[in-house]
Amino acid sequence: MTLSTLPKPVYRNIAARNIKALSPTWIKLAEDGCTIESSGGDCQDCFSTPPRPGDSATELCDALHGLLPFHDSFDLPQIQLKENLHVDIYAVYEKKTAWLIFSDVTDATLQTLRYQQTANDLILLREKQGRVLDRYLGQEVAERVSSGLLQFDTAGERKTIATLFVDIREFTAFNESHDAQVVMHTLNIYMECMLQPILNSSGIIDKITGDGAMAVFGVLPSPTHCSQLAFQAALEIMKRVNELNHQLSLNDLERLEIGIGIGTGDAVLGIIGAHNRRAFTVLGKHVNLASRLEAKAGPGEILMDEMTCKTLNFTDTFSSTDYELKGIGKVKVYSHKP
Amino acid sequence: MTHKDQPSMIQKKVCILGAFGVGKSSLVSQFVHRKFSEKYLSTMGVKIERKEFSVNGRSINLMLWDIHGEEDYKQIPTTYLRGASGIIMVVDGTRRSSLEEGREILAGFQDELEGLPVVIMVNKYDLLDEWSFSSTEIQTLSEGGPPVYLTSAKTGVHVEEAFHKLAEELIRP
Repeated sequence: MTLSTLPKPVYRNIAARNIKALSPTWIKLAEDGCTIESSGGDCQDCFSTPPRPGDSATELCDALHGLLPFHDSFDLPQIQLKENLHVDIYAVYEKKTAWLIFSDVTDATLQTLRYQQTANDLILLREKQGRVLDRYLGQEVAERVSSGLLQFDTAGERKTIATLFVDIREFTAFNESHDAQVVMHTLNIYMECMLQPILNSSGIIDKITGDGAMAVFGVLPSPTHCSQLAFQAALEIMKRVNELNHQLSLNDLERLEIGIGIGTGDAVLGIIGAHNRRAFTVLGKHVNLASRLEAKAGPGEILMDEMTCKTLNFTDTFSSTDYELKGIGKVKVYSHKP
Repeated sequence: MTHKDQPSMIQKKVCILGAFGVGKSSLVSQFVHRKFSEKYLSTMGVKIERKEFSVNGRSINLMLWDIHGEEDYKQIPTTYLRGASGIIMVVDGTRRSSLEEGREILAGFQDELEGLPVVIMVNKYDLLDEWSFSSTEIQTLSEGGPPVYLTSAKTGVHVEEAFHKLAEELIRP
């Protein structure tokens, strides 16, 4: 449809309605393309001072700064001129004359704004939730939880997993001999070394235990065996802590050592707690064993149970010792000091 | 006194670009009005603010075009950049994706932005604990590229410095 095909009454009617709705203001620019030659329309709505012939158009309207003079036509949609006034600005260049048309689009803009605000709020909220999950569970788990691919129920699921405990040695003494802020700062830089490798090896941080952490491997499907994942996380933790300690020594600062225990075996994974406060947990004999091994590990030492070492084929590589552990009995324990 | 009476006053149009929700409007509000609101309000189209200040002994009047952030930068009309003298690119330090979106915007408007000075603001420095960039990545970002400022529209930290840096670039002969 073109204007020429419209019957005059129809054209006049549509034009009148649109002109009323858009409440246009126009400015004709002088030959220099910068000063106002004449103007018309509902100017009082658009500008704080009425446009006067001879005045600078950019002085009248900040939005025009840098745009004048112009020698082609272009549009600037949805320019907010005042608190509740949005206009489309049409710069029209015809027959060597420049015109500026300001058309009120406030209602349409505010309606779109409401939709946009809701959409943006939802996207930001989702991203924030993703970041929070990412922080506590690692990116891979967070993505699976967000997309519903990882679920646990209260009945529990039996699975072979590896459990790793890591802890700072002599931290109680350090805590008692230093200012609380120093302790907190120190704890955080060691935690950074301990937690990231766990997340990098598809581990889940089950809990942070003051000066250490408990992590489980094998909950997420992986082509790599859970014991291997736990062991590679342990090596990376040791490497990072050694690098940190080297830096601290260079700066003449106090350094701390860590110990790690790893156990592999069947466990029940599930959710425990009341309806309003629930937590993921793993239950199994090897979990207690891993905890005991971590407690026995010396500075810079990784202690593993037999199952872990057998899975890794390291039984001939690492030295073994028989330990009598209270409540568990006699166990063969393998030691590695990277 | 009007601007016409001040021949030495330099007026420049500066466009503020970046993904939605990175804090473009808040940074402008902090710089122009020294105000910050916790509530996130989307911008539609363009909101223009002006700020006069002195830099290196010269008066400058910046017309700040606070351009709405789109999920798809291609929906931002290129005419918004017409007549611009400088660009502020805003990135949200807590949202890694906003850096890539910022880069896409700069690349998408390559023709319009050619030769214009750019300053990058990595915003929300007050939420440093939640940042998704490491200090090494920030360092890499600032090496050999536009100046990078770690800003907080909330506390105002480095906001003025970043705008002043761009203003210095704009008055450079």
